Order: sequence, then C-alpha cells, then structure tokens
Amino acid sequence: MLRVSGFFVALAFACLFAADISITTLDPWTEMQRMGLGVVTPDFTAVSDIGWVLVRTVAFAFCGVALGAVGGFLLSQLFHYGPVRWACAFVRAIHELFWALIFLQMFGLTPLTGVLAIALPYAGICAKVYAETLEEGDQRAVKILAPGTDILSAFLYARLPGVWVHIRNYTSYRFECGLRSSAVLGFVGLPTLGFYLETAFSEGNYSEAAALMILFYIMIASLRLWMRPKLIGLYAIVAPFFLGGGFSIEMSNIKRFFTIDIVPAPLRGEALDSMNTWSQFADWVWFISVDMAVPGIIATVLLTQIALVGTGVLALLMFPLISKKFFGPVGRSIGHGFLVVVRSTPEFILAYIFLQLWGPSMLPAIVALALHNGAIIGHLMGRFSDEVKLRPDHARGQNLYGFEMLPRIYGQFLAYLFYRWEVIMRETAILGILGIATLGFFIDSALSEIRIDRAMFLIVVTAALNIGIDILSRRIRRHLHLSDEARQLKNPA
Amino acid sequence: MKSFVLFFSALMVASILSTTTPQNAEAEAFVFTAIPDQNESKLRERFGKVAAYLSKILGVEAKYIPVKSYSAAVTAFRNNQVQLAWFGGLSGVRARLLVDGSQAIAQGEEDPVFETYFIAHSSTGLKASDAFPMDIKGKTFTFGSKGSTSGRLMPEYHIRKQLNAAPDDAFAKVGFSGNHSKTIALVQSGAYQVGAVNFQVWLNEMKAGKIDASKVSVIWKTPAYPDYQWSIRGDVNKQFGEGFSDRVTKALLSMKDPGLLAAFPRKSFIPASNADYQPILDVAKQIKLID
Amino acid sequence: MTLRFKLTDEDFGYRGDIVLRDISIEINAGERIALVGQSGAGKSTLISILQARYAADTAFVPQDLGLVPTLSVFHNIYMGALQRNSVVRNLLNLVWPRPADIALIQPIAEQLGIGEKLFVKVGELSGGQQQRTAICRAIFHGGDACLGDEPVSANDQHQSRVIMDALTTSFDTVVLAMHDIDLALEYSTRIIGIKDQSIALDVAADQVTRTDLNTLYVK
Repeated sequence: MLRVSGFFVALAFACLFAADISITTLDPWTEMQRMGLGVVTPDFTAVSDIGWVLVRTVAFAFCGVALGAVGGFLLSQLFHYGPVRWACAFVRAIHELFWALIFLQMFGLTPLTGVLAIALPYAGICAKVYAETLEEGDQRAVKILAPGTDILSAFLYARLPGVWVHIRNYTSYRFECGLRSSAVLGFVGLPTLGFYLETAFSEGNYSEAAALMILFYIMIASLRLWMRPKLIGLYAIVAPFFLGGGFSIEMSNIKRFFTIDIVPAPLRGEALDSMNTWSQFADWVWFISVDMAVPGIIATVLLTQIALVGTGVLALLMFPLISKKFFGPVGRSIGHGFLVVVRSTPEFILAYIFLQLWGPSMLPAIVALALHNGAIIGHLMGRFSDEVKLRPDHARGQNLYGFEMLPRIYGQFLAYLFYRWEVIMRETAILGILGIATLGFFIDSALSEIRIDRAMFLIVVTAALNIGIDILSRRIRRHLHLSDEARQLKNPA
Repeated sequence: MKSFVLFFSALMVASILSTTTPQNAEAEAFVFTAIPDQNESKLRERFGKVAAYLSKILGVEAKYIPVKSYSAAVTAFRNNQVQLAWFGGLSGVRARLLVDGSQAIAQGEEDPVFETYFIAHSSTGLKASDAFPMDIKGKTFTFGSKGSTSGRLMPEYHIRKQLNAAPDDAFAKVGFSGNHSKTIALVQSGAYQVGAVNFQVWLNEMKAGKIDASKVSVIWKTPAYPDYQWSIRGDVNKQFGEGFSDRVTKALLSMKDPGLLAAFPRKSFIPASNADYQPILDVAKQIKLID
Repeated sequence: MTLRFKLTDEDFGYRGDIVLRDISIEINAGERIALVGQSGAGKSTLISILQARYAADTAFVPQDLGLVPTLSVFHNIYMGALQRNSVVRNLLNLVWPRPADIALIQPIAEQLGIGEKLFVKVGELSGGQQQRTAICRAIFHGGDACLGDEPVSANDQHQSRVIMDALTTSFDTVVLAMHDIDLALEYSTRIIGIKDQSIALDVAADQVTRTDLNTLYVK
C-alpha cells in the first residue's frame, strides 16, 4: 500500500512541475477582502424571487433524480446484459454539465434539458449500484418459492424487501448530489441557483452571492427535515410544475441534431463510398486528436493526479477535526461545520470562486477539487475512526495519529480515495468550461463555434478516459485488496 | 413494503410529469435574446426597455430572454426559440448561416465602423501607438468571449497577421474572460497584462468612472470593421403574420427615445443587410472559426 | 400404495466431495419419515435433493427458513402461494393485504401460535416464532407432501409438538430431518438413519427403540 501511495505522490509532484499553478492576479487580496465582506454581509433581498430560485433548484433536482432512479431501477433488472452495462458506464462517464450542453442543442433552454441532464447520468449510476445491491442481497427466500411463481412477484416478495433500505438510502443520497448538480446547471443558463450565482459573482455582488450560498447550505443541511418519505408523493406531483417555463420543443431540432449536427463535418452530405470523403474524415479525426484531444487529455490527467493527491493530503489532515479520538465536542462541531460547508459546495462553484480570486491557472482547480473531495473523504474517515477500538493506555496527539490511527485506517482511506478517482477526473474535465485547458475547455470551444460534431467527438474521448480510469482504479483496489472496503462508500448515509 | 410502492410510484409520477408537462408557454410571444457581452444586470435593463418598446409598437408580446453564452444565443436563434437577436458580427454571421432566410435588419450607427481596443496594464510599460504594438508578444493576453467579434475574432485576426503566430504561440498565456466588462477588470487587476476589448464598452465604462486610468490604458485601436446587428429569422412572417419582419425592422429603425438608445449605447439604428457582414465571414474563414 | 418420492442408486456431493453415496430410497404416500443421524451426515443434503427434484408439488421448510425479515408474517406466509395467484393479486396483497387472504392465513398462524403477530415484521420475531412462520408458509403452500430440514430446532418441547401436529395433520406425506430422537419416534411411521455417507438404517418406527438409534451417533 505504501509503495502505491508513494508512486502516486511522486507522480503528482512530477505533474506539478508540468502544470501551470501561478497566481496571475496581481492583487488577489483586495478581491478576497471584498468577498470576505460579502460573506459577513449577505444580502437576501438582492435576488428578486430568491425563494423561487431555490424551489426551482429543488424541482430540477427532484425530477432529474426521480427519472434517473426509476430509469436506473429498470435498467438494473437488465444489468446482466453486456450492452446495458456498457451503456450505463458510458452515460455515467459524461458529466451532467456536458449532458446539459448536449441537450441544449436539441431542446434549447427548456426544463426538459435540465431534467434529462441530471436523469441520464444518474440512471447509469443508479443502475449499477442497484444491480450490485440486489446481487449482494439475501437470496435465500428466492429458493423457497415454488416453481411457477411469476418473476415480478418473486422479485417484489423475495428479493427487493431485503435490500430496500439500502436502495432507499442510496437514492436519498443521490438526491443530495442532485441538488448540487441542479445548482451547477444554472451556469449554462438553466434557471437554477447557479444562474444567479454566476451573475452575482461575475458582477462582484458578493453580498448577493453569499446570500445564495448560505441558502444553498441551509437547504442541504436541512434535507433530512423536509425530504420525508411521506412527503415524496406530494413532491413528485408538485415538482414538475415548478420547473419554470421555457421555450417550446421542436421535433425538427431533435431530428437535425441526430442527422446533421453530430455527423462529422467531412461526412455531412458527402458520398460515403468515396475514398476522398474518408481521407478527409481521417484528417478531421487527426486534427481534433492532435490539436485538442491530446492536449486536453494531458491537462486533464495532470490536474486529476495532482488533485487526487491533494485530496488525500487534505482528507488526512481534516478527518481528525470530526473524530472523537482527537477533539472534544466543541472542536468537533466546528470541524463538522467546516466540512459540511466545503463538501456541500460543488467543485465547480468552488473552482469558479478561486478562479475569480487567483486568475486562470490550474491552481484554483486543484484547490477546489482537493478541498471538496478531501472534505468528503475526511468526513467518512472521521466517522470510521470513531469506531476504531483503542487500548485504554493509547498514545495521544501526534503519536495517536501516526502510530495508532493511521495504520488502522489507511486501507480504508486508500479505498475511499481510489473510489473517488474517477469522480475527480470527471469534474476535472468539466472545469475546462471555466477556462482551464482540460478537455472541457476544448468541448466548450467547439460548442461556442457551433461545431457539435467536434464537441461530441471530444465528449466521447472524455467518457473513454473516465471509463479507463474507472477500470484502472478497480484493478488497483483489487490488487490492494481494498474492494470490499470501498463498498461502504455506496451507502454513505 | 408500502413505503417502496409509494416511493416508487411517486417517483414514476414525477418522471412522467416532468417529461410531459406542457412547456410551450412562451410559444405565442415574440421572443428575442442578445449575446451576453456585458454584465447581465446591464443587459436586462437595456433589453427590458427594448421589450416594452417592441411590445407597444408591434402589438405582440415581446420578451427578452437572457442567455449565458454567445453560442447559447446562436443556438436559441437556430432552434427558433427566439426569433430576433442582437448579435455581434461573428455570432450574427454564424446564426444566419445556420438559419435559411434569416436577415440582418438593423445596426447601430456606430456598428459599420466598429473598433477593438487593445488595453494593457500599466506595469507592462506599453504606450499607445498607431502601429500594431509588437511588444505584446510574450505577454499574457485575454480575449473576451470565445465567440465575440470585437473580443476574439478581430483581435485574433490582427495578432495572427502582425505577429505571424497563433495566439497560443504568440503569448505566454491566453485566456477568455467571458465578456468585455470582465476583460477590463482582469487587465486592470493585472490578472492579464494585455487584453482586447469592445471600444463601446470601454468608452462606456470610462464614462461611468469604472476605469482606473493609472492602471490600465488603451495601447492600440484596430482598423474599423462591421459589428453588432439585429438579425431576424426568415420564417417570422409565417408565425406572426405577413409583413411582420418589415414591421420589426421599422420599429427598430424608428427607435428615437434617447434613454433607449443610450442603453446600448448607440446614437441611432440604421438599415443593415447580410452583405454588410461579408468581411466578417471572410476573416472568420481565414482564421478557421467558420468552415 | 402409491409411490411419492423415489431415488435410485445415486451419488450426491458438493464440488467433488461426495456427501451421499449410492442412495436408493422409496417413500410412499401417507408415510411420515424422520431422517436421523449426526450433524453433517447428509440429512440436509438428502432433503435438498428431494426438494430439488419434487419442488413442483411439495411444500418445503429449509433449515435457514428462507424468510424475508423486512416483510410481515402475513406476507411471508403468503409467499407459499405466490405461484397460485395472479401477479396483480400478489402485488395488491403486498401493499394492501386482502381480507380474503387474511381470512385464509389467520387460522394457520393461530394454529401455530403466531396469530397476533400477523402484521409484525418477521425480523422482529424470536427464532422460534420465525421458524413457525416458515411452517405456516409450507402449510399455506399446501399439497399432499412436505419436506422439512430440522423444522423444530428453534422451539421448545411444547411448541415442537404443536409444529409436528400441524405438519402431520396438514400433509399426507412428510419427510423431516430431525435431531430430536424422541420426537422422531413419536411422530413418524418410518425412521431412516444416515451414517458415513449412506443409509445405515431404514425401519418402521414401531420396530425400533431409542437405543437402537444410538449406534448412528457413534463414530
């Protein structure tokens, strides 16, 4: 385990040399002061209809997750078919924001765009988790069913009830993720929190931005209070009507997307039996690969590796903050507060804020990714460390940390970290939209030039890269015998 | 088990409703948008006035929808989700290429002779000159939006021509600020040493006292080129009645309210045609922003 | 007499280890068989072989009970009859138990002393109550024959007799693996003893004494 960790740390250092991590703003302090002032003077009146903004953000999250959970559940029943598994891996390898950009081309700024952008990748994730949960569930009751029992009854009586609690917990955890996704979708123009946040930040209205962020934290922190199973039915019926209006959807736009937009430019309307067409196509692929895909991949991998190690370091530093073994109740509540805020803020928003402060380089992205993911893993490890049994005369302070705690939880820590690897990469790609030259930057450029074919090519490359990292991470986890421990991550609630 | 069935059927209902809820509430309104080249609050103020004006003159509800990017404006126009748009030169050319029969109908009096200002932070020591400032080579440089004419297309064209290199190679670092207000802010703060900005936005912010002349100044002005214009879809007559397109054109050209015009800011609107923007198309093709 | 279960010259095992060798067995309708022998001798294997072969028309109580802890007693018992009813009826029963089905199941549960627990989740019951739920499910499954693997192991003497009474009155033919010799002698018509991977003893219950059976438990 130490060898693998050492290798990853060394790799991150090597990447650090190749990466651009300069602070380019000459005077980040003034801006930071203004931002700090904004945080202490939140202005809840600045956004008109701030309540509706929140309601819409919840509505998008709810509809998207509902559709994703139902779709994922149905797909989990077919998960033993290879093509279904591959399709799920593909849709979940593409970030919600990229899906939103794709659906924007088809449906424009309609609620459907936002709902599907959340639902599709979530269906892929839910299908996998549901299928695994069902597979790991107790099968004994199935064996006593008489032959001739229909499969639906057999499933609902003998298989589902045993794992239902896990599925429900996982789905409500997904809902929390959905809220973050929904908020971020505003950055591409959907009428959720991110829309107003982007406006507030870019215009320097930090009091307004602070108000929006505070409400967002309250919303996530109070989730357990209002996301009651009994109320879900009510939400389900009401939510779709709070998505806000939009433009009408035209079939011709959808048809055009599939028949023209995503067809590589050299093949559009050309004779497909001509050698010339295909040599032009080869040039097209070569050009995009060399000029965009390869530099994009390099930047994405560099940033991912640095952020991964940064996440690990921060997680190791932060978990004692909430551990009973290290801090008393007061210290722990401060620690909890800090971790909740950092992990509830989507990486995209964190990166956006740091970018405003420090100017465009990889630094804001690294810090954002490491903070957010470090807080998530730190939180899980803190809880895990509480359960570690120590002898009564155990060491204290640094020695407790270094000699007693770390050796005991290091395996768990690595499992969490590798599990998070693919998530970090997916986020890294998306941060390109903010101007860091990862794959997302080139996808955003292609879309801004209305070259959908190029964007789709690059999105597929991004998905392939994510799937590759996912496979690699699973191999390493298996190699280190960590796979069982990582399972616990699936039900963090 | 009840909880499962209830939970699941609730989710089912939500999914069905969320995909089928009628979403064409705006179908009957005449909707327009604009490229987000400036702060959104400013755009809302400006186009809110325009919407009120058009509603009154046309007798149809006219509505402004803000978008987050240049390409979103083009896509909305292309998808017939907006029928009219205030485009820049490049976005207008792109949009009209994508929508058969669409027309540039009006432009500001200033737009046929639009300019881009290259601005630099005082620490660079760069001074204003009539000739292209060759010394910007090797500095850090920010464009505006990736899809902007004055913030991207024209400056990139001149950079390629004068420095004989792609921006990525000519500068230590290249960024896209997103909009002109931000370009000014970034250069003023020193985040970038040099930037390219829409001259109208520059003059406007100068007038508003938002620019600290001791920190940032204009070092070069590009030759004039045609830029902003109102473009309308070719099929509006089918949707809103015969002659609608002409009525919109007339409404725009006869906009005389100084408050309205000052919000752009333009002295007045004058007729425009697709052909006026041929130079933009040529330049865009030359630097391969359009195939 | 009609033959109800039959195995001829068969070997059985898991992953190459032979658990039972050269087994031949014929069980007629109306017989009540007790399978006895040391733990690990192969009683469970024999029961599960018979179950696999005769699953279509035989009720079954496995050693692990096969209950769903998060479902109520009613639902677990009802699971014995899923195959008889339509999907719609099964689904409706899952959400709103039908009075008609409750009326069918209530007496069975009462017979086994869990009538009051009908809508309690099985996971909240004691081990003995859980075992009796599984018995009820077998009875609700119905048919003329029942296979059981240690069906009274978690219950006291009194409850064991209640279970044995219920099983022997509900089914014409029963084949039960049992560890309680006295109970086996009391309720069965025929005793089959298993030792060293094969059938060591096969006699009518009234022809054998407790001491005769002790040989099965000696190495």
